[in-house]
Amino acid sequence: MEVWLQLLVNGISIGAVYSLFALGYTLVFSVLGVINFAHGAVFTCGAYFTYIFLGGVVGSNGLLATQKLPVTFPLAIALVLAGFTAAMVGLLVETVAFKPLRRRGAEPLLYLITSLGAGVIIVNLIQLLMGAEAYALPSNILGSMPAVLAIGHGLQIRTVQLLLLIVGGVTMLILNIWLNQSLSGKALQAVAEDTTTARLLGINSGAMIQLAFAIASFLAGLSGGLVALSVNIGGPYFGISYGLKGLGVLVLGGLGSVPGAMLGGLIIGITEAFVPAKLSAYKDAVAFAFLFLVLIIRPQGLFGKPPIEKV
Amino acid sequence: MPLLMPLAIPSVKAFQALPKWLLLLGLLASCSTTNNNAPVNLKAGLPVGAVLSLTGNANVYGQDQRLGLELAQAAFKPGSSMPLNLSIEDGGSDEAGAINAFNLLINQGTTALIGPTLSQQAFAASPIAQRRGVPVLAPSNTATGIPEIGSFISRVSAQSSVIAPISINKVMQLDPSIKRVAVFYANDDAYSTSETTIFQKAIKAKGLNTVTVQRTQLNDQDFLNQITSALRAKPDLVVLSLQAVDGGNLIRQLRELGFKGKIVVGNGMNTPNIYPICQRFCDGILIAQAYSPELKTKENQAFVATHKAQQGGRVPAQLTAQAYTAYQVIAEAAQRLNKREPLKGMPLRQARLLLNKEILSGTYNTPLGKISFSRDGEVKQESFYVAEVQMDPDGKIGRFALLK
Repeated sequence: MEVWLQLLVNGISIGAVYSLFALGYTLVFSVLGVINFAHGAVFTCGAYFTYIFLGGVVGSNGLLATQKLPVTFPLAIALVLAGFTAAMVGLLVETVAFKPLRRRGAEPLLYLITSLGAGVIIVNLIQLLMGAEAYALPSNILGSMPAVLAIGHGLQIRTVQLLLLIVGGVTMLILNIWLNQSLSGKALQAVAEDTTTARLLGINSGAMIQLAFAIASFLAGLSGGLVALSVNIGGPYFGISYGLKGLGVLVLGGLGSVPGAMLGGLIIGITEAFVPAKLSAYKDAVAFAFLFLVLIIRPQGLFGKPPIEKV
Repeated sequence: MPLLMPLAIPSVKAFQALPKWLLLLGLLASCSTTNNNAPVNLKAGLPVGAVLSLTGNANVYGQDQRLGLELAQAAFKPGSSMPLNLSIEDGGSDEAGAINAFNLLINQGTTALIGPTLSQQAFAASPIAQRRGVPVLAPSNTATGIPEIGSFISRVSAQSSVIAPISINKVMQLDPSIKRVAVFYANDDAYSTSETTIFQKAIKAKGLNTVTVQRTQLNDQDFLNQITSALRAKPDLVVLSLQAVDGGNLIRQLRELGFKGKIVVGNGMNTPNIYPICQRFCDGILIAQAYSPELKTKENQAFVATHKAQQGGRVPAQLTAQAYTAYQVIAEAAQRLNKREPLKGMPLRQARLLLNKEILSGTYNTPLGKISFSRDGEVKQESFYVAEVQMDPDGKIGRFALLK
């Protein structure tokens, strides 16, 4: 029983990160109808920003070798700052890779290419500035808190896991409240529903799209920082596997569905956790095979609406 | 929805011009590759290439190796009658990167290659050098079967089957009560799969019980599920065949989840670059090594002194010493060859062939100790060591302390 609980906790904590990550994809998809392939790179930026804001020194192989900020921030502030800085990067991506195409009414496929290009440039820029080496956040970052919390008989939760779960959960809750209760949240939903009608109603759709990018990138930056806290930063390409997983979650939950992204992330995380030990090296393949099966049964995803065909 | 646009069929005139274009392309292609019968280009020294993992997951090894090559360049260039002209190329951390870098350097007319960093890359890239008749001296490939790729492939890195069992013997000396062993390895990496086989044989030979074998992948970052499963089997000892980044991460998570027993790691984690990854959790891990900074030979002491002077007092890593040794072997072989048969005007193909023979026939006094090669290119080395990682209390600085 403890083992099952342990696996469930492992799955939920990593699933919360997938959800947070996929929410970023979802927000952009809901307003533009395209997938932002630079999202993984923004996630990576978030991890690096967290490292820098925590007072980390740049390694010896980048242009910024041995540089560090003159101030060191506490973890909570560093994570929030990393989220905001990632949001700035996201806005830059929107301005450079999306806005010009949107103005010209370009094909959706072109957005994929420009966002992919923006992602590759960001990753290479990270490599140029920070070097390709791995970075680790200080292991004593949680201060006097124990590294592991023992609950009951045999159930152990890494404090970092718990933090992932709490921050992920709270952020998703805030996002949901904002989307449903605030005026700007409703305006964003209106733009997602129909941009033209929203514009006729006086909503500045351009600003709403930028807001969607900023929030999506904030979430990516925050999840990047949280993951870095848990598993270190393996190098500039560290966001790629999370990017793929986030795409899987987006599709599983249903394109553009916020609850879908939340639940989809948890399902993928838990599925991975319950992959038998002998197949653990293939957990990605098992998770995607499960996704494949679900989509065969329900092509629109868990919360997606089936496309309405005009006749 | 865009219209489907079929390929327009070119006019007959366009086909008439085809032979001219083909001729031009042929000429361009012949310009881009070096003619094997042309003399070796000795303008800036004997061209030698190095393919290192400077980016990607294995970049931590590549950085160590680049330092070794730079130190060797400084040590062997002055006063040499045949200095080496070294070109370092980034081979990334995958097979495609290594293949591209090998092709590039071979086409530029290199007479010998040092690298690639990973065994996984060597199995893909070294056969290309073998087919083109270019000697390859691997500084860090430890998987079984590397020299067997062909007559032009040799290595200065002792293979896992020689080194790995030493650390199992040592850990049993330190704690004879060990009975149950958990094994982890990356099943998508040639080095890891090769080394774990050797570790598992050594574990069995010692009469220990392998209670679980957990498989990971090179790019994995979260190992909680594998660790949960392994800890259920209550191991006394954990043996890892992983690379530095994934291995460092796994150790951190393993210790955080409460594993208190001994940890033995393989050659992939034989680099000080693991310190920032597992930090204070690196403390106490055991590793067998093919190099010790404490070896009291003239060559090693000089090497350590230079390294310390340049690196703020840090002692060299094994990979740095092995890369230095690879350069030294080629530099000394080139000197001897040039003395006997001047390389000036010698066709590239012949220079590569003779240099390979010279490399394999020599004996070298290196920082690794005295080394030579077997006929098939396997290094013959006299001394191996077991070290324990000792971290400072803040977990920032560590060292490989030699276990007597």
